[in-house]
Amino acid sequence: MKYGVSILTLYLVWALLWFFYKYLVKGSFFTPYIPEMNLEMELAAPFSHGLILGADLMGRSLLEVLSAGLSYSLLVAIVVTFFTASIGMTIGYLSVKANSTFRALFDLVINLVFIFPSILIAIMIMAVSGQSLKGLIFSLVVTGWPGYAKIARSEAKRVLSLTYVEGAKAVGMGEVRMFFRIIIPAILPVMIVNMVLGISGVIISEAALGFLGLGGSPYSWGAMLSASKTVLLEAPFVAIVLSLTMAGLIIGLNLFGDGLRDYLDPKEN
Amino acid sequence: MNRVFKKIAYALVTIFLAITTIFFVIRLAPGDPVEGILGPKATGLEILRVKKQLGLDLSLSTQYFIYIKNLVQGDMGRSLFGAKNITTLLTERMKPTIILACVTVPISALLGTFFGFWAGVRKSRTFDTFSRLLSLFALSFPIFSLAPLLVYIFAIKMNWLPVSEWGDFRHAILPALTLIIPLSAVVMRVARNKYLEEVHTQWVMVSRAKGLSEMAILLRLLKVCLPTILTVVSIQLSVVIAGTMITETIFDIPGMGSLLFEGIQNRDYPIVQAVILYSTMMYMFIYFLIDFVNEKLDPRIQVE
Repeated sequence: MKYGVSILTLYLVWALLWFFYKYLVKGSFFTPYIPEMNLEMELAAPFSHGLILGADLMGRSLLEVLSAGLSYSLLVAIVVTFFTASIGMTIGYLSVKANSTFRALFDLVINLVFIFPSILIAIMIMAVSGQSLKGLIFSLVVTGWPGYAKIARSEAKRVLSLTYVEGAKAVGMGEVRMFFRIIIPAILPVMIVNMVLGISGVIISEAALGFLGLGGSPYSWGAMLSASKTVLLEAPFVAIVLSLTMAGLIIGLNLFGDGLRDYLDPKEN
Repeated sequence: MNRVFKKIAYALVTIFLAITTIFFVIRLAPGDPVEGILGPKATGLEILRVKKQLGLDLSLSTQYFIYIKNLVQGDMGRSLFGAKNITTLLTERMKPTIILACVTVPISALLGTFFGFWAGVRKSRTFDTFSRLLSLFALSFPIFSLAPLLVYIFAIKMNWLPVSEWGDFRHAILPALTLIIPLSAVVMRVARNKYLEEVHTQWVMVSRAKGLSEMAILLRLLKVCLPTILTVVSIQLSVVIAGTMITETIFDIPGMGSLLFEGIQNRDYPIVQAVILYSTMMYMFIYFLIDFVNEKLDPRIQVE
């Protein structure tokens, strides 16, 4: 947990510094700075040409490209996790309350989303919406919500049988009010842990799509990794730096999520 | 008997819905296979002619009924590109994927269970801390960032193994390793948690009190933990056997994952339908197999 927090803080500071650099130092608010291409410096080695991490295939400073990728993937991950968790929580709860027909339908949809490879769903959605950030986020949400729905369902089942919920029902609390005032606070700890771990999952899925050429941005770490794979012989540092940066962020998130789980659920210890 | 019948019916309905959904979804998505076949310069007349040849000019519902009718007779059709028979294409591409799945999943299940139990026995000692840290690291490198690192270390720096492509045994080592590392890390975590959950229950205390050896208790614990572990392993198996698109693309393996990817990219409808049919059937088969095994291991499951 301690290490997780410090790693995450490091990455967040890095992302904030990049925003600062992008909008205030090198560019202005209306014309944000974009890493410059410079084909003469293609694949420059680290510590040469005044570039700490060297340059990528298009001669852009690897540090700048990496920072752009970091802010992009954090943004996507947070937006997607927010939507998937809210949708999953609502549908999971509804499936507990609903009748058996709805429940069967729910099981079927979840099974279908699990059976169809998420990449297939993403490609289909991207084919309709075009390769854009919106399409990417939408397809990650579509493939991501069943996981949360399953967790929310089992948690809601547990919570609904608790005495204080029965008490609330007995004094005549309305359904909607009950969902927001009682159910959500009760299942939130478990959901938050899963959201933290889910953020790292989204970062991985986003990079996987980028790796297969379905990213929403040229700064997707996956897209960059896929490009670096072709120059593994000449410039292994690009792939190594990318892998380690991404792994660092995911390790931070996983450590933090695990620590949070132990902290919020003392019975495990 | 009634239960088995119900399950088979459920499987058939799921498979039917899966192939129906994919049939319409892939046809309604933008992109046209005929444009891919003829290239961008084709005239309207040529496009029409090829469409007629491939039967793509018929209405969607007619195409669907023809597809279902042929499928029932065991005919999955031909690829739109190169007119290869789908059945032969599938048997060709299935081999590498199934080999990879049959090597990686059992190995990671054994490794994961073994190390997970060991870590559980030595909870909070050096081995436990070390192996938990290791599994955390293993899970933090996604396949597409792990694979280039492994290729760099073993194929380029050490020059021990070939970089990619599929051929003899040596070609399978790197892709297998890429899969075994994350898969066994997941199994290990599950095995360790389940062990720690069970080890403090009363029946373990009773067994210890009546003087059973530690080894015998461990074996009984294994039997109790096995359904949970097997469930995780079965999910992994159904994922790997459906074709791991990324691993297969990275290592140029001619398997189901890369076949599906090419099929989607080219809008080669029959291929996509066939691969989805295959993976759904595999998914259902493994799902029932594991259900059956788990019921045999723990009869209480059936009651629920």
